[in-house]
Amino acid sequence: MKLDNMFKKTRLPKRKGAAAADTSGPEVPEGLLRKCNMCKAAIIAEDVKKGDYICPKCGGYFRMHAYKRIRSVADEGTFEEWDRGLTTRNPLQFKGYEEKLTSLQEKTGLDEAVTAGRARIGGEETALAVCDGRFLMASMGEVVGEKITRAVERATKEELPLIIFTCSGGARMQEGIVSLMQMAKTSAALKRHSDAGLLYITVLTDPTTGGVTASFAMLGDIILAEPGALIGFAGPRVITQTIGQKLPKGFQRSEFLLEHGFIDAIMERPQMKEVLSRLLSFHKNERSDTQKAQKLTNGIRQGLKIPPEMDQAKAWDRVLASRKKDRPVGRDYIGSLFTDFTEFHGDRYYGDDQAVIGGIAYFRGMPVTVIAQEKGRDTKENIQRNFGMPSPDGYRKALRLMRQAEKFHRPVICFVDTPGAFCGVEAEERGQGEAIARNLYEMSALKTPILSIVIGEGGSGGALAMAVADEVWMMENSIYSILSPEGFASILWRDSGKAKEAAEVMKLTAGDLYALGVVERVLAEPEELTAQEICSVTDPLADQIGEFLERYGDMDAEALVQHRYDRFRKM
Amino acid sequence: MIKKVLIANRGEIAVRIIRACREMGIETVAVYSQADKEALHTKLADEAVCIGPAPSKESYLSMERIISATVVTGADAIHPGFGFLSENSRFAQLCQQCSITFIGPDADVIARLGNKQEARNTMAAAGVPVIPGSEEAIYDAQTGLEAARAIGYPVIVKAALGGGGKGMRTAYTEEEFIQSFQTAQQEAEKAFGDGTMYIEHFVENPRHIEFQILADSFGHVIHLGERDCSIQRNHQKMIEESPSLALTDELREEMGQAAVRAAKAAGYVNAGTIEFLLEASGRYYFMEMNTRIQVEHPVTEWVTGIDLVKEQIRIASGKKLSYEQEDVHLSGHAIECRINAEDPKKDFRPSPGTITDMYLPGGKGIRIDSAIYSGYTIPPYYDSMVAKLIVWAKNRGEAINKMQSALGEVIIEGIDTNVDYQYEILNHPDYRSGNVDIGFIEKMQRCMV
Repeated sequence: MKLDNMFKKTRLPKRKGAAAADTSGPEVPEGLLRKCNMCKAAIIAEDVKKGDYICPKCGGYFRMHAYKRIRSVADEGTFEEWDRGLTTRNPLQFKGYEEKLTSLQEKTGLDEAVTAGRARIGGEETALAVCDGRFLMASMGEVVGEKITRAVERATKEELPLIIFTCSGGARMQEGIVSLMQMAKTSAALKRHSDAGLLYITVLTDPTTGGVTASFAMLGDIILAEPGALIGFAGPRVITQTIGQKLPKGFQRSEFLLEHGFIDAIMERPQMKEVLSRLLSFHKNERSDTQKAQKLTNGIRQGLKIPPEMDQAKAWDRVLASRKKDRPVGRDYIGSLFTDFTEFHGDRYYGDDQAVIGGIAYFRGMPVTVIAQEKGRDTKENIQRNFGMPSPDGYRKALRLMRQAEKFHRPVICFVDTPGAFCGVEAEERGQGEAIARNLYEMSALKTPILSIVIGEGGSGGALAMAVADEVWMMENSIYSILSPEGFASILWRDSGKAKEAAEVMKLTAGDLYALGVVERVLAEPEELTAQEICSVTDPLADQIGEFLERYGDMDAEALVQHRYDRFRKM
Repeated sequence: MIKKVLIANRGEIAVRIIRACREMGIETVAVYSQADKEALHTKLADEAVCIGPAPSKESYLSMERIISATVVTGADAIHPGFGFLSENSRFAQLCQQCSITFIGPDADVIARLGNKQEARNTMAAAGVPVIPGSEEAIYDAQTGLEAARAIGYPVIVKAALGGGGKGMRTAYTEEEFIQSFQTAQQEAEKAFGDGTMYIEHFVENPRHIEFQILADSFGHVIHLGERDCSIQRNHQKMIEESPSLALTDELREEMGQAAVRAAKAAGYVNAGTIEFLLEASGRYYFMEMNTRIQVEHPVTEWVTGIDLVKEQIRIASGKKLSYEQEDVHLSGHAIECRINAEDPKKDFRPSPGTITDMYLPGGKGIRIDSAIYSGYTIPPYYDSMVAKLIVWAKNRGEAINKMQSALGEVIIEGIDTNVDYQYEILNHPDYRSGNVDIGFIEKMQRCMV
């Protein structure tokens, strides 16, 4: 049965003067509801305000005003503003520019597109600058450049870390070439801040484009981004017009940048304050212990024995053990040995190789940089992580993190577990050989202790690129060799089926390599080593790492580098 | 006076409200989801506005969309029905901010009564009995024993972090208490890693008795007697009736007075319900206050002759109550059975689908509030209740017979319903004799197995 227009409706006598405006009708007061620019839904303004300016319907991010942003991350009442009231000279004598600025100042209550100062975040002192898109799309004129530069300089002088929340349409057209020069000026100041060993974090918010991306936004030691933010040099509209092509979905969004290796992590607003405070606390300068007396223990190999049962297993059995499916992988070691591991992504050139994971963590309360070749725990992860075969991007990410460790005087601990560097067209196109060579070159002189531990397969150059270390240790059932036994057999005997025989002659077991003086320690394993029982090896390993850090942490940089040089010089 | 009401609901209650408005000469606006385009309330109202996709969250629970629909249609009031946004204080507040009359109590009253602890404190302060319990956390059996003595047996020991019946034990005597306390505490420590306990009077085999009240904005509050809603399955009421066999005139008077005090203490305006647990001993305890019209309101309407929805609209229009307490008399006996699209043989699994044919009974003393018609497709997104069958007779025995007769005539083809199951309940000797408590259905189910 269809009920369309079947029922009689309420029929009311026409109200007198019904046309006259009925003032008692319902009305949404100004500001009660607002529209989400992303999902177009009407939403209650108060929900947006209370919910970190995130749309409760679609989860999209609203742009945040500078002072609201400061309130959301800084400890209450700790923000002290610097350089408020700087004004532009209107260098091009651009007509109507000053009037425009005055009207914006009145409308927004801001003096310019950036607000800078000092604040505490989770109790940690920091310099803080925040761009505000309401002011000429936070384009960078001389005042923005000057305020940023002054904040950087003051942070350098006062030995403060610096956090900048970026948002900008790019250069300010009304200030022409003077605007362009701000890019160089801010970058130069940041170089000095960095040379002073100070931490710089950028948080990229929607939109960060043009001259700001091509200067201070991309220079952070750590670069975070809000989800879905537009980040790029040339804006998407300009690109479309230039190349006459439709751009892919998600192009130049935070997620795209993460995938392409340009940001360390995407951070949701509700976690922002906590993460910033953690990063600041992690980088707190405690230089007191770096000046400790130089005491180099020469007995690097003293008192260490190969586990007695070492020689009984055949080399081929070790090869099989090192490749076992349920053998613990890099992440298992990280989880068991360190606390507060914070992963950083990307090589800042091309991509974020999933075969290498790295970041910062605490080892018994001491900040360290941890890098691991990661095979993954199941087939799905194996594929995602390319079975632990790094691409050039993976080695470049590792090197970037090692340089960061050097800057902040953090020891580096590497976990080696790879069948070899990825063998493929793309890898060659991006310079696999160059990437490996660069790591050997740079690691040899890195002014911070490096410990590499082979936990599974140590496949050739792909392994060595993460093992130019002060000491290299091996798990009892790991292997380390010039190439896989299969490859060895196929090159030498033209028969990869003879891998078993190859393994026996290659001297690739931990015991063999210890005897050859290629590694310093062999770490005993239980009969069956699985991720569940990783503590049986990581508990004693942690003590040995502690001892390593104590020994090398006390060395001065010159001695350390010389020691590493000598280590390889004699091979 | 309100001129146009938007009904922020669906199903039979939306239809019920539209009918009341129509009788009062008030225009109606229905809102509907994309799944309810063919629903009866959509077709029956003077105007209808689609407010979004099928999921409730994006339609019947979307405050912004409902407010927008109200503004667009120029309705001056919203009736929220039950469920959905009916007890959402935020929504009531939004209505007020937008100069829309919310047909229900004030936002802050809803908020206060929605907070269990605050509601309990308000009631205790107004002299409404609440379930006695230990004020403070208890960590050892000795302290617990003293608390239990003060509370009165039987008692129930509960873990502060409890849930799912874990860390919960009853004790009927002092001898039993120590053992119960220790067992419950050990269980709690094991399950939640915390041995913080509370002790409460154990309300044994109670009946669910609720009192309907009406309050106007002039501080005038009356009660309309009780409803006995003890026939429940998994806390879902199935059969409700008024009056309750368990109440004497004196007890009715006493509990009614308590209900009125409760409403006054809460500063309540409009129609509301105070739920009590009633022990066989005659002791009763405040459970919670529902700040909306109830599903089972027709039984009260029938024994009192008062149209509750119309009274709600009158009160919301700022009118004084049309009745004094002396005008309210319970006459005869009314019973309501909820008819759900569900399959009792398959653990009451919802049974949406198209109604291919149907016949509903009529005659003297029979009322049907429903939203279904032949050819209607029940969507799977919402509550499975599709109709309410209400009967009235001089006394309970006649009412039961009438209900059985009526249930026997109900024909709904194309979907499964609980009609036969309801019929069985009415046949049950314990039900017929009025020997029921809230555990009735569970016991009956066990016997059937």
